[in-house]
Amino acid sequence: MSPVERVEASLVLLYAASSLLVLFLLIPLVSLYLRLSPEAMARVFGSPVLASQVRDALATSLAASVASTLLLLVLGVPLAYVLARREFPGKGLVEAVVDLPFVMPHAVAGIMLLTAYGSRGLLGPLLQRAGLRIEDSFLGVVAVMAFVSAPLLVDTVKAGIASIDPMVEAVARTLGAGPVRAFLDVTLPMAWRHVAAGALLAWARGLSEVGALLVVAYYPKTLNILILEYLQVYGLPYAVAVSAAYAALAAAVFIALRRLLPP
Amino acid sequence: MIAVEGLELRLGGFTLRIDRLVIERGEYLVLLGPSGVGKTLLVLSIAGLMRPQRGRILIDGVDATRLPPERRGVALVPQSYALFPHMSVRDNIAYGLRLRGVPERERRERVRRIAELLGIAHLLDRRPSTLSGGEQQRVALARALVVKPRLLLLDEPLSSLDPASRANALQLLKKLHGELGFTALHVTHSLAEALYLADKVAYMEGGVLRCVCTPRGFLETRYARPYLEEHRLVEEALREDGG
Repeated sequence: MSPVERVEASLVLLYAASSLLVLFLLIPLVSLYLRLSPEAMARVFGSPVLASQVRDALATSLAASVASTLLLLVLGVPLAYVLARREFPGKGLVEAVVDLPFVMPHAVAGIMLLTAYGSRGLLGPLLQRAGLRIEDSFLGVVAVMAFVSAPLLVDTVKAGIASIDPMVEAVARTLGAGPVRAFLDVTLPMAWRHVAAGALLAWARGLSEVGALLVVAYYPKTLNILILEYLQVYGLPYAVAVSAAYAALAAAVFIALRRLLPP
Repeated sequence: MIAVEGLELRLGGFTLRIDRLVIERGEYLVLLGPSGVGKTLLVLSIAGLMRPQRGRILIDGVDATRLPPERRGVALVPQSYALFPHMSVRDNIAYGLRLRGVPERERRERVRRIAELLGIAHLLDRRPSTLSGGEQQRVALARALVVKPRLLLLDEPLSSLDPASRANALQLLKKLHGELGFTALHVTHSLAEALYLADKVAYMEGGVLRCVCTPRGFLETRYARPYLEEHRLVEEALREDGG
């Protein structure tokens, strides 16, 4: 085999491996819509009871994921800035804590949240005195979503800020901007694509969470929990009907994300 | 007048120690020295971007050692120019004036004047990313000078320019200093820059100032030898070529 033929043979292998993975990922999406039964769709979305369940669950999913993303933006962007720009003792430990939810199995994350903020958890009594409760509450759904998606927002924004020449901010400071003004005028506009991408990733991650929600806040039901329930109670066609609608929403987020992500 | 007294800044294993450095009002001081000897650290300390462990920095008689950068009245042109990429050239130059609350009409006029002086009036509506290195350097200079700083800090401002642009930028800096009379601390590796621009040359090595003297006086010190060696090699090559 000549060198050129060897290169061509290895290209065939490369394309074959790539195609296999793409197909592995694509086929479930296609099959979801192939299995979509108009009859089940009509039963779910035509029934006032089931349709309102789906509507309520979707509203909970959207509201909680947006609230958790806003919370993460307010608290996570400053943290990302500190991690990108400052050196301090224990920084590695803080970074590990931020990334912890990445490696935690979802059910374990739920148990951790219960032991920390549940009514019988470490800070439960304190939260209860403030009238806050995470078990089976909207707050619990937000807390779970924020917990599992925090690393996505913080790490994405951190990478964005770290990629900006620190001298740009330094020059703004010498020209008369205080630290907050320099951040708002210079760093944030320069990092906005990363902030937007981080927020979208965090939102999508929150939206997709189910494991920790089963532990902490089964109610109010999110759409994921409702799909699981339909699967167990009514069978696959009903679960497919709701999943197909949800998958379309997820795909829309994905497309928006691809457009916003830095090149 | 800018005075640095008994300054000590430790960073990792490196220590910057400046017993005394004075830059008189209107003076152009060029700071020479090899890489990694603390020149940029000194610039950042004066700008308030690094906090020294000891010593004082006096700016026009005021102890600025503990003042944040925004209250020191110094302006910085870093090696990368650090233009704001999301703003037009006009907004880049006007940024410091806007922060000082200069009314818009006066702001526009001052931006126009400095842009004309630096030959960049035709670039005001452009974005920094569309400019050449020489143009970016002039925008960075305009942005720093328009606020009439007490001290202009230039950290290797010509090092990323091609030879032709460098020669132009040298002449421009000399002309600007002549016309505006600002006080400057200019960090460089280039003896040519030092000899052409400086009222006074300072030489740094190992985090310590070795000498502060006139450009001519510097040529007579042993610290000038490595720089002169390069010139000697050029002359030697020219002689060989001629012979």
